[in-house]
Amino acid sequence: MRRLLLLLSIAAAAGAYADSPLFTSRATLPSLSGEQIYEHICQGCHMAGGQGAVGAGHYPKLAADKNFISWQFVATTVLNGRNGMPPFGYPSGQDMQSGPAHLSDAQIADVVNYVRSHFGNTYKPQVTAKQIAALPHPAAELIGPQ
Amino acid sequence: MDNGDASSALTRRQLLHMIGATAGAGAMYQAMSSLGFAAESPYKGPIDLQGAPRNASVLILGAGMAGLTAAYELRNAGYKVQVLEYNARPGGRNWTLRGGDRYTELGGLTQQCEFDKDLYINPGPWRIPYHHHGMMHYIKLLGIPLEPFFQVNYNAYIHSSGAFGGKPQRYREVKADYQGHVAELLAKATRQKALDATVSAEDQQILLESLRQWGALDKNYRYAAGEQVSDRRGFEKKPGGGLSGEPVHSSPVALHDLLDSGVWAGIASGDAFDMQTALFQPAGGMGRIGEAFGRELGPLIRYNAKVTDIHQDDRGVTATYIDSQKAGAPQTARADWCLCTIPLPILAQIPMNVSQSMGAAISAVPSAPAIKAGLQFKRRFWEEDEQIYGGITYTDLPIMSIGYPNSGFQSRGKGVLLGAYIWGLKAMEFTAMPPQERVQRVVDYGSQIHPQYHQEFENGVAVAWHRVPFALGCFGSWTTETRAKHYEDLCQIEGRIALAGEHASHLGGWQEGAVTSALDAIGRMHRRAVAQGEKA
Repeated sequence: MRRLLLLLSIAAAAGAYADSPLFTSRATLPSLSGEQIYEHICQGCHMAGGQGAVGAGHYPKLAADKNFISWQFVATTVLNGRNGMPPFGYPSGQDMQSGPAHLSDAQIADVVNYVRSHFGNTYKPQVTAKQIAALPHPAAELIGPQ
Repeated sequence: MDNGDASSALTRRQLLHMIGATAGAGAMYQAMSSLGFAAESPYKGPIDLQGAPRNASVLILGAGMAGLTAAYELRNAGYKVQVLEYNARPGGRNWTLRGGDRYTELGGLTQQCEFDKDLYINPGPWRIPYHHHGMMHYIKLLGIPLEPFFQVNYNAYIHSSGAFGGKPQRYREVKADYQGHVAELLAKATRQKALDATVSAEDQQILLESLRQWGALDKNYRYAAGEQVSDRRGFEKKPGGGLSGEPVHSSPVALHDLLDSGVWAGIASGDAFDMQTALFQPAGGMGRIGEAFGRELGPLIRYNAKVTDIHQDDRGVTATYIDSQKAGAPQTARADWCLCTIPLPILAQIPMNVSQSMGAAISAVPSAPAIKAGLQFKRRFWEEDEQIYGGITYTDLPIMSIGYPNSGFQSRGKGVLLGAYIWGLKAMEFTAMPPQERVQRVVDYGSQIHPQYHQEFENGVAVAWHRVPFALGCFGSWTTETRAKHYEDLCQIEGRIALAGEHASHLGGWQEGAVTSALDAIGRMHRRAVAQGEKA
């Protein structure tokens, strides 16, 4: 079934928008860069330009965020989620269509570097996949029906 | 099962693999279509809250299904009730977008719903299984007319974009062919004595007869074109009257093509407990329930109230709130007890003095992403051209499904359908787009199934739940691990505060979860209030 679903999602991803990585499937997700991950996933809540948004609650503004001085803070948030933000650090293979999306340590490093060096943030140095790998990740688990 | 010679063992293994694959597909579609656990609602009839202490009061935060249910019952029991609601309307995620409505999402983009009068879309919940007894109880109590909701329509499609040249397949044909081929294989295995070790000779005879009936097999246990097969999968030319009425039988899709296509993954879409007939929808939109509760509770609900702080002491609970529409000084509301139904991602940001364990539970549950898009077309072409009356088409395209209206059949004029119900990763990606781009892509993808789309499309709205200002997501997304670690902490009454909502239930994403969690919480709160003789 895995193989079939993979084929199906590849077929879906190769649709009318060949110029764009939309829509991402489990097969194409690993090739997304930090910038693409931001634009196609993070931006849904944190908005273009990292502007955040306010309603009954709020999505934090990433532009000029002082917490970003700690790359560990940003990386831990992406890996494990925070206050309703979903974790993206689940082991590969747990990201069924229904479940959370899995990003590799290299991708998480890439997206951490992207948000810490954009939107008015000018933090250095660059974080590596190895540094991300050393942080706590969410536990492996099978995701039941939601 | 491991007895028998090698060749028949192989056959058995293949069979088991097939059956396992089907179960997996069923599980997938349950997950795709249900958003819920297959658990019977714990609702056991109207709640008994006799003996409320005189003048005891409860502050309810949030006028969604949980808050409204609690407010209704507590008021009837004699409690002094106040409800604070962020929106300008009751219902929360119980919500219907109708022609003329405006909706502004987080980030500030506004959509004007341009549907015709009486046409609508339910951006949130859209179906109620008959065994959601709590929901059914309040719907009856509030006098809201119900309509059937067709989860399964044999004439709707299962669509696999890479199979059959992209042509959508009728559910009826896929189901009949899959069932027929499986029955034929199992009959063959039985007759080749492959099941001798596990099924008695007597039972094998019964099994063969049942397979013939179940799979529409012929007298030789073959699934082959003919009267009984057409009677399941449909005719090439349907039987009719007079000289032109002679039917032409249709031909089944070959087993290999069927398996390879992946369309079998949609067969079990109505088999999950939450999807089994009968299901219902309120006439005029799901939002009719919240609206009716709102009328019933009247001035007890304070709208446009954005809660900014929740503080309890040993005598009561104070909520601080500001007007969500206009600037002004913060105000407070106070009561002996507080039932807080605010969705967890929002509550996680509101200061509230509860234990570290409850705080950790509140922060531990992310919201599932989901998108729904409503599209208005010039005519009901799915009925006129394709004879699809209600129900759902499932597809592997990013739109995931198309829901046809379950009312207004054969009405002239325009129609609105649910053009997409998307979740998971693709929902995140749709969320990251401006609403008009979401709608455009939904139309483009949908036209692969219904080529009439581009000709007939007029306007649409697309609600991305992570951009919904009052929710910040679709529903609480528990995992086995987080539920084991945090669920009980979340559901405790701490001091004078209890939480309720679908996130505090085992019916995640279902309104029944909100209703039963509210009843469970206020039942416990009532017993404490009585025991403490609050303001007696």
